[in-house]
Amino acid sequence: MKWYVYLALKQLFPTGKRISFFAAMSIVGVALGVVVLFVVQSVMEGFQYNIKKMIVDTQGDVRVDSKHMIFDVDKLEDFLRNFPGVAAVARYAYGMMMLKYDDRTGFPTIKGVDIENEAKVIDLRKFIKQGNLENFNCGGIVLNDEMARSVGATVGSSVEVFSPKIVEETSSGEIILQRTFDVSAIYETGYQNVAMIAIDTLQDLYGLGEGVHGFSLRLVPGVMPEKVAFELNKDLPKEIVAMSWQEMNKGLMFALQTEKAMMSLVLMFVLLIAAFSIAGSLLASVIRKTREIGLFSALGGTVWQCAMCFVLQGAIIGIIGSFIGIIVGMVTLKFRNIIMVGFLRLCGVEDFMMKFYSFANMPSRYGKGDVLTLVAFAVFLCCLAGVLPALKVAKINPAEALRNE
Amino acid sequence: MNDDYIVKLGNVRKTFGDFMVFDDVSFGIKRRETVSICGDSGSGKTTLVNVIGLLEQPTHGRIFWNGKSVINQKMSYVAKLRSEMFGYIFQRCNLILELNVIENLLFPRRIADKIDSGDVAFAKKLLNQVKLDGFEERNVSTLSGGERQRVAAIRAMMNNPRVIIADEPTGSLDEKSANLVMDMIINLCDTYDSSLLLITHNPRFAQKMQTAYVLSNCTLTRVE
Ligand SMILES: Nc1ncnc2c1ncn2[C@@H]1O[C@H](COP(=O)(O)OP(=O)(O)O)[C@@H](O)[C@H]1O
Ligand SMILES: [Mg+2]
Repeated sequence: MKWYVYLALKQLFPTGKRISFFAAMSIVGVALGVVVLFVVQSVMEGFQYNIKKMIVDTQGDVRVDSKHMIFDVDKLEDFLRNFPGVAAVARYAYGMMMLKYDDRTGFPTIKGVDIENEAKVIDLRKFIKQGNLENFNCGGIVLNDEMARSVGATVGSSVEVFSPKIVEETSSGEIILQRTFDVSAIYETGYQNVAMIAIDTLQDLYGLGEGVHGFSLRLVPGVMPEKVAFELNKDLPKEIVAMSWQEMNKGLMFALQTEKAMMSLVLMFVLLIAAFSIAGSLLASVIRKTREIGLFSALGGTVWQCAMCFVLQGAIIGIIGSFIGIIVGMVTLKFRNIIMVGFLRLCGVEDFMMKFYSFANMPSRYGKGDVLTLVAFAVFLCCLAGVLPALKVAKINPAEALRNE
Repeated sequence: MNDDYIVKLGNVRKTFGDFMVFDDVSFGIKRRETVSICGDSGSGKTTLVNVIGLLEQPTHGRIFWNGKSVINQKMSYVAKLRSEMFGYIFQRCNLILELNVIENLLFPRRIADKIDSGDVAFAKKLLNQVKLDGFEERNVSTLSGGERQRVAAIRAMMNNPRVIIADEPTGSLDEKSANLVMDMIINLCDTYDSSLLLITHNPRFAQKMQTAYVLSNCTLTRVE
């Protein structure tokens, strides 16, 4: 071991004392910073992951869309299904309608789906809370739970649906086209107010003929949606556009990304403050140990090696501090729900928070990369904190240092 | 002719800005020679030993270690050579507080990058020679002034230096321990074949050296 490594270790962990006060405080400071950054980033990442997953699960990986109705449906669907990387294709059409049950009305967007294919693109079973899709094609409708609740419908209820076309035909004195649907299932996605019926029925109700609005695509796992969308756009006619889910939700993705970045930036100041206090303490110790630096020179060391000793002290604090921080962070994340409930109970807002924010199920997600980046960043800052005093050491003249009492 | 001398200075001058500390100093230390330098406080004795060990650059003149000129050499080379050439004993604050006695003794070996398994045994042997058996694990802050200087004296021996440079090593000790420490230093140099350069105020100690110099009025004069 080089002497300055040995000395750096000894100054932090002196013989007979286990750990110096300075080392203990600095390590705790860095560890706290790392814990906060790690926990917050992991929870944010967890939220983000859930949102992304929800989007992909409900929208598919890629959407093929047009400004106008698409009429050449079967041919296009075949083309898409055979496109490299595509696992499943489902056509859809949609329109705003009025929904009526008893005296209550709602205005969902109604999506017409080809249920066999739709089930291949979207894992519908995952979202269905009540009922099933058995009778969907025989006049069934799937409602989102919020819509069902607001009109008071349950599985098996008969609801009435009015489309603009129905209204038009009624006013022109034609036969009243009233459509009644049986609620076959209620699903829950948390953010979409969309009801689903069979696509041919919707085409009738809206007078779309054979036309559809677009296709949802599920890709082979591991294939990049952006890449497939890009390749598709090369081959598709100009007015038909493929879009990855990322692009469709660009605004949201950007907001999520920005939120995480800003949060990290703010929390980085915790580490920065820890680094500053390390730099301060090390500077003080340089001044206190000036004479020793002269002594090391007399014993055959160079001032640069003495300087190195201080950079190393920063680095060692950074490494140990971030290591402890990551461990504590992982434990915190593991018990995050218990901790959260305990904390909320302490504040007396447990019920409230649970009901409205479902805080009892805080997501969390981190990868090796996140951990490594954070550790690297913390260690880097601590090394910088050591460089400052080291530069001061490098300017010391050994002979003058030896005169220092 | 240089080869007779372990350390040799030729016409060395040292100034701090306009302030002249000494000029035209030429002297040398031979193998096993014991040399004393006396002089009033502020006469430049410490500056001279710093210049000899190149802890301070001379303003002018030549310096040879083992017959080799060391002016204008790379600092890392000089530093390494210094650890082989010189063993320093200062007036006070010789020891590193974070280390215990044995670790302090091994420290010069670490700096010289030569630490090996025989060093602990050698350190213990030296401790025995200065009557500090069993002090290995002692915290240095619990040692008396005399004990610290004895530890410092044997630490200076750890790298088998050619010259021990002792700058007022007994300056802050009472007479009794001063005598004890001084005898031990002289003994150690004798046992391990080192020359001794002793800076001292005490004429009795100066008389014990083979060669004596006085530094005053910027000049170094040999006393016969
Ligand atoms: N870095 C320096 N800058 C200016 N003057 C110095 C410096 N170092 C020492 N001196 C001066 O050099 C003179 C000799 O000092 P020193 O060698 O310590 O004397 P001694 O050891 O004989 O008491 C003193 O007058 C001191 O003030
Ligand atoms: Mg002096």
